[in-house]
Amino acid sequence: MKKYLKLSAILVIVLFVAACASDKKPAEEAIKAAEAAVNSAKGEAMKYVPDQVKGLEDGLKSAKDAFAKKDYKAALAAVKDIPAKAKDLAAAAAAKKGELTKTWEDMSGGLPKMVEAIKSRVDILSKSKKLPAGMDQAKFDGAKSGLTEITQMWDDAQKAFQGGNLADAVSKANTVKDKAAQIMDTLGMKAPAAAAPAKKG
Amino acid sequence: MAEEKKGQDAWDSTQWHEVKKGETLWKIAETYYGDGSLYTKIFEANRDVLSDPNRIKVGQKLRIP
Repeated sequence: MKKYLKLSAILVIVLFVAACASDKKPAEEAIKAAEAAVNSAKGEAMKYVPDQVKGLEDGLKSAKDAFAKKDYKAALAAVKDIPAKAKDLAAAAAAKKGELTKTWEDMSGGLPKMVEAIKSRVDILSKSKKLPAGMDQAKFDGAKSGLTEITQMWDDAQKAFQGGNLADAVSKANTVKDKAAQIMDTLGMKAPAAAAPAKKG
Repeated sequence: MAEEKKGQDAWDSTQWHEVKKGETLWKIAETYYGDGSLYTKIFEANRDVLSDPNRIKVGQKLRIP
């Protein structure tokens, strides 16, 4: 009887070890595939949807941790959705890139028109013997220094775009747009529709 | 209702002034620049519609550079 129990225990252990080992290879392969999928989506995703990358990396890490603890079932469970999520991530990055590219194209055609209109008005007002009603020297000086600022920032935005940093380029261009609209207001000019502040309500 | 400007039209930064009764280029220049003697800037910017700085019409739309 004692011998029988001993044999049974050994058999249970052998079966358990065999069961665990049978999950090892699939888990290892699934982790490799998930890692490859994440790495392939990560490059563009870090540029355009960085907040979404972390969730995926966390999932991969927990799968690796489970694998290291020889919990292959948990590793498989943690990794199983990652390739599909990596695909979604790549799609989200592509969509964001498309949206930013469109915004950039729109602004890069329009902002120089605003800057040029401001420059023209500042040049003329600089020749004026007297400033128009509602404008004092301090306001005009502010507009002049603002023009220098947006000219520089527009240069920076273009450099960011040429350097492949689209998100930074669009962010800088938005700052130029807002600042240019303010300067136009100070100078008594009407900002173009594309740069007008959004209507409330 | 005026149609909303779209695309690059929405970025058009041209400044316009519609001539009112009794206005002259000198007076318009005073309004925008504070100095009537700068009326030539407006005249030059509107050479396509103005041939004489002393002849502007009520309702005429002028570019204000």
